[in-house]
Amino acid sequence: MKHIFSLLILFSLLIQGCIGDDFVDDNVEPILQITTTPDTLALGSTFQFEAMYLNNIGAQESVDVQWESADQEVISISSPDGLAQALQIGSSTIRASYQFDEKVIEDIIEIHVGQNTVDVLQSKSGTIETTSFYTLKGDFEFIETEEGVLLDIAENYEASSGLPGLYIYLSNNPNSIANALEVSAVDVFNGAHRYDIPNVDFEEYQFIVYFCKPFNVKVGQADL
Amino acid sequence: MKKYTKYILLLMVLTIQTNVFAGGPWPQNKGKGYFKLSEWWTVFDQHYTDLGKIDPNLTTGIFNTNLYAEYGLTNRITTIVNMPLFSRNYMNNLRSATTSEIIIPGESINSVGDLDLGFKYGLSKPGAKIAVSATLILGIPLGQTAGGSLENLQTGDGEFNQMVQFDFGKSFQINNIPAYISAFTGINNRTNEFSEEFRIGGEIGLGLMDSKLWVNTRINAVESLKNGATAETVNSTSIFANNTEYLSLGFEANLYLSKNIGISAGFATALRGEIIAAAPSYSVGVFLDLK
Repeated sequence: MKHIFSLLILFSLLIQGCIGDDFVDDNVEPILQITTTPDTLALGSTFQFEAMYLNNIGAQESVDVQWESADQEVISISSPDGLAQALQIGSSTIRASYQFDEKVIEDIIEIHVGQNTVDVLQSKSGTIETTSFYTLKGDFEFIETEEGVLLDIAENYEASSGLPGLYIYLSNNPNSIANALEVSAVDVFNGAHRYDIPNVDFEEYQFIVYFCKPFNVKVGQADL
Repeated sequence: MKKYTKYILLLMVLTIQTNVFAGGPWPQNKGKGYFKLSEWWTVFDQHYTDLGKIDPNLTTGIFNTNLYAEYGLTNRITTIVNMPLFSRNYMNNLRSATTSEIIIPGESINSVGDLDLGFKYGLSKPGAKIAVSATLILGIPLGQTAGGSLENLQTGDGEFNQMVQFDFGKSFQINNIPAYISAFTGINNRTNEFSEEFRIGGEIGLGLMDSKLWVNTRINAVESLKNGATAETVNSTSIFANNTEYLSLGFEANLYLSKNIGISAGFATALRGEIIAAAPSYSVGVFLDLK
């Protein structure tokens, strides 16, 4: 009997699980995005353009961005610092590019030159969709504010209240919350509600991600 | 109080049920007993959602070293104890498949688990054709309820529950092979905003090799009354979803190595469920049967 108990205790010690590794497929296409997007520059003014490079896991990296203006007579821009000067009434496209591994990624915006600088607060809308077998759906509007951004979720929003520890993030990787901003624990499961998110640039994040902390798994997402 | 992972406890309940119900409706005779030291474990990377569908989760492991005991206080009253002496709950590291960097570090906790203390009373007289018993089981919360940096590791649910159940059973022979069939039904009254549960189950067993090897299969069901807290009704999303349900199927073999001592091995899995792991659980143990 002693031997049997000893063997069981030994067996128990041997099979007590060790922490292993799970892997999440978090590979994304690198992107370059111009994050300062005025609608109109005042004639004769200067403007500092900025761009954000997100690598293959959606993390921001500092890189040397090349800046070009399609019409140097309307807007001139120096590279790589991105300092632009509005020279003439009209329009020009501004191109930011970054070359790596023989690939070039770019972002292009159109900028006007007028009598005054016009920087319109922006907004965009989309739909939250489940990526799991938990109910999660609803429309939203993502609105730039003076303080940051406002995530305004519509009346048709619905989320499973059976799901524990649901959190909402802003992320640049749809499959990972690494480098993401945790917005809030979710405590509304039906109907309209909103999140004021200060100190966030309108173009800073690409995705809304709903993540279940207890299961450590993504539940839903929306493109921004 | 943080209770991210009550589904884990439900899994523990699964194995506790396996043990507690092992005696069926037959109380121990006075001064006789049954004692078992066993190891139970499950490792799962998917779970049933509240819609009964299967979703992935970070790989989670639960290991319990249990001491189970039945002892006959009288010929009709048996006391039952199930104590997870050592309970371990862990979650794997979550790593980037692109960079191999750790996104969420794995964690584990080790402690004792929740104690189950029960009393079984034989409603039928010893030797009756159909044995009937009533059992009261008290769940004493001794385990850890919120371990790890995310407080999503548990070895106990933090609630004191009281379960009343009735067992019915009949022993018989099939071609001179001893056999039994039993069933139970019960209500589990839970505190701390957990939903009450209705439980029902059945078991068939056969005694092979001159009753040296007993094999059985069990089917258990738990239906939540869905009157407890959810993430919507409590002002915190940290509480794990209540209202878990399952239908489980289990098999167990007990081999007597001598008149009183034997070894056992078991297996159970959920056939359907809501907010419960979608993976089998296993157990091995040694027992002492003081007949």
